[in-house]
Amino acid sequence: MPFFQWEDIVTAFTLFIAVYMVIVILFYTVILLISMLQLRKEYKLDRVQVYEDYMEGIYTKPVSIIVPAYNEEAGIVHSVRSLLSVNYPAFEIIVVNDGSTDHTLDKMIDHYDMKEIKKVVRKQINTKPIGKIYQSAIFSNLFLINKENGGKADALNVGLNFSHYPYFCSLDGDSVLEQDAFLKVMKPIIDSNEEVIASGGSVRIANGCQIQNGRIQKIGLSDKPLVVMQIIEYLRAFLMGRIGLSRHNLLLIISGAFGVFSKSWVVAAGGYRTDTVGEDMELVVRMHRLLKEKGQKKKIVYVPDPVCWTEVPEDTTFLRRQRRRWHRGLFESLWIHRKLTFNPKYGSIGLLAFPYFWIVEFFGPIIELFGYIFMLLCLFLGGIYIEFAILLFLLSLLYGSIFSMAAVLLEEWSLTKYPKVSDIIKLFLYSLTETIWYRPMTVIWRCEGILQMLKGDTSWGEMKRKGVSE
Amino acid sequence: MPNNELFILSVLTISILCILVILLVYLTIRKAIDIKRREKIEKYKEIYNPLIFQLLTEGSYSRALTPESRLQQKAFEELLSSYANVLEGKEERKRLTEFAEIHLTEYYRKRLKSKKWSTRMNTLYHIDDFNMTSLLDDVYRLTKKNRLSHEELVHILRILALFQFQSLFQLLTNHYQYLSEYDYRHILIRLEKQQFDQFVLHFHKAELPLQKAVLEVISIKRERSYLPFIENIIFSYTGEVKLRSLKALAEIGYVKNINPYLNLLYSTKWEERMIAAKLIGSLKVEKAMPRLIELLHDQTWWVRYQAGQSICQFANGKDILRKVFETSKDVFAKDMAWEWLHKGV
Repeated sequence: MPFFQWEDIVTAFTLFIAVYMVIVILFYTVILLISMLQLRKEYKLDRVQVYEDYMEGIYTKPVSIIVPAYNEEAGIVHSVRSLLSVNYPAFEIIVVNDGSTDHTLDKMIDHYDMKEIKKVVRKQINTKPIGKIYQSAIFSNLFLINKENGGKADALNVGLNFSHYPYFCSLDGDSVLEQDAFLKVMKPIIDSNEEVIASGGSVRIANGCQIQNGRIQKIGLSDKPLVVMQIIEYLRAFLMGRIGLSRHNLLLIISGAFGVFSKSWVVAAGGYRTDTVGEDMELVVRMHRLLKEKGQKKKIVYVPDPVCWTEVPEDTTFLRRQRRRWHRGLFESLWIHRKLTFNPKYGSIGLLAFPYFWIVEFFGPIIELFGYIFMLLCLFLGGIYIEFAILLFLLSLLYGSIFSMAAVLLEEWSLTKYPKVSDIIKLFLYSLTETIWYRPMTVIWRCEGILQMLKGDTSWGEMKRKGVSE
Repeated sequence: MPNNELFILSVLTISILCILVILLVYLTIRKAIDIKRREKIEKYKEIYNPLIFQLLTEGSYSRALTPESRLQQKAFEELLSSYANVLEGKEERKRLTEFAEIHLTEYYRKRLKSKKWSTRMNTLYHIDDFNMTSLLDDVYRLTKKNRLSHEELVHILRILALFQFQSLFQLLTNHYQYLSEYDYRHILIRLEKQQFDQFVLHFHKAELPLQKAVLEVISIKRERSYLPFIENIIFSYTGEVKLRSLKALAEIGYVKNINPYLNLLYSTKWEERMIAAKLIGSLKVEKAMPRLIELLHDQTWWVRYQAGQSICQFANGKDILRKVFETSKDVFAKDMAWEWLHKGV
């Protein structure tokens, strides 16, 4: 009897979804609680005071800032200028021109009076061949390297080979840094006496803020629904997720937009991988792995202070592309290191972080997608009470909002960046609508990312053959 | 059966809804109050700013300057804090301290006892900034609290150092031997000579982090009176302590007799070669120049780098580097010579 079978499926699937939801909610709740405790402890701490001491040169460690640039003639001069004015005692800026086809190189040379220098670059990591190297005649700590096109990871590796200092920072060309960004992220490294080998900060959304000369002048909330939803997403991801994970050294992601790493450890791990779209996450995972394999007690941490403001896509085409790429990057990082999953040898990374990223982050969208399809099918084929469906729907709507609002609460407790009461109400109302439009949309995109991969993408095949190069 | 489940779901939905509403109400009210408070504080600051400025620069005290409400105190605190960062003059700083001690001592005394970690931390920062020695005992008493966070402890010890607290030496050597070099350095750097000498005398009995911190502080302060001490350490210790004391010596930039150090230029440890090269550079020892040029060809990057820098410090250093650049066949030496010729173009 087909009808009977359908009912069986309904029961089984409902049970599965219920169990899955409980697991996910538990995960989130635990992480939320950890973050809350942490931020509540630092409630109203005067952060400016905390960083003052670190400006004294004797305590700080010099940092090499690597800026990979591919066809960024519009923004590169500007980004570099804002970098030159950061508040940090010792740093150098290395712009790596990744075979741009526009005038990125000429603009840099003209504007900063770059002169060619002869230097032997120690090849600690293999990269595509490099061309000329320049140094600015105005700022002796500004360098420019020209190289063949090889992607962002390759450009970062070139910068790594060239850099002079023990710490380096990877940076997206289009982000705006806070003046104290380096003080903030270097603090844990200095404080811990180098036990911390990588540190990242919150990335915030610049859309809707007033920016002048590479500085945030006024923080505002964008009027575009798509941007507001992304703000909520970022708040949730950074304030809730990463604080919680970082507290127990489970952090697997340091945003590619801004992070400081210990050079020696990155070199030991082999630098950035050029064959994945998620090179930033992959590197962090590899470093964790290396630490566990070497039995070292080093840490990778996250600083809740915002350090960097970045522009997010304002229309669906680009957002879609971004989400597909992210999901693919996530999968690649997890797949390359799949050996770690549930592997007790890798401690909490293998037993907690990996399962979390697999179950919640990677399979989440697939299961959600099936959930949506299932709901629709049930409405047509029966097997579920309409009241039941409505209630379930309401519940999912509300429970998502709870976490969003909790993230807003955390933001208010810690940083209080949005100035108006109406901002909070706006965030609240938007977060209520997430389940209706934004969530399904991103779920579909992420599933598309998986599909793309399954369709036998070439880079995917190559990677498989190469295996893990360690 | 479904009725039961429906009921549970409804209850869940309603309770989540309630939580959400409570959250929203809390957040908006909080925000509104915060904005109001901020406005008031800013208003107070506007009123007090000229008065406080006058007080600090001329010493003329105005009756209007008596904080009554908490917001007024907050406004005072913020104003003083901004002045504390920019005031250079001794007189002005003294007035600031006096003023803070008169008006904020009681307030801070209470706040130091607060249950909130961040409140105590902020208060400590202000006591530090305003140099409020009147609170010395209160700060010291905090060390006896159980469950003190590491950050708080270090901060307390730093304040005690700033106040030249008499028993700090006992405290650091008997109770807090497990601090890191970094923490010790942070604390010791604030001590005056008399206090610091206790640590120098204690050096041989101290743990490694404390030893390193003492040497580091001497090298930061470039205190010549510790020369005999440093030279003594160099020849009676090995390893990291020796290196640190060599570094301190290089920073001070003076020795009576250079000869014992020339051998270090031939040490098998690259760290020693590097620091010896640094020392030669800061002392500008002509007779060691040939060896410095050799070190420009050293196999370790750091040694080459330091040799380049040291050569640069000589009057004719650039010429020597140019010669190496033009004549040497070693790419690495050439590269390093080039780099130092173009430093700070």
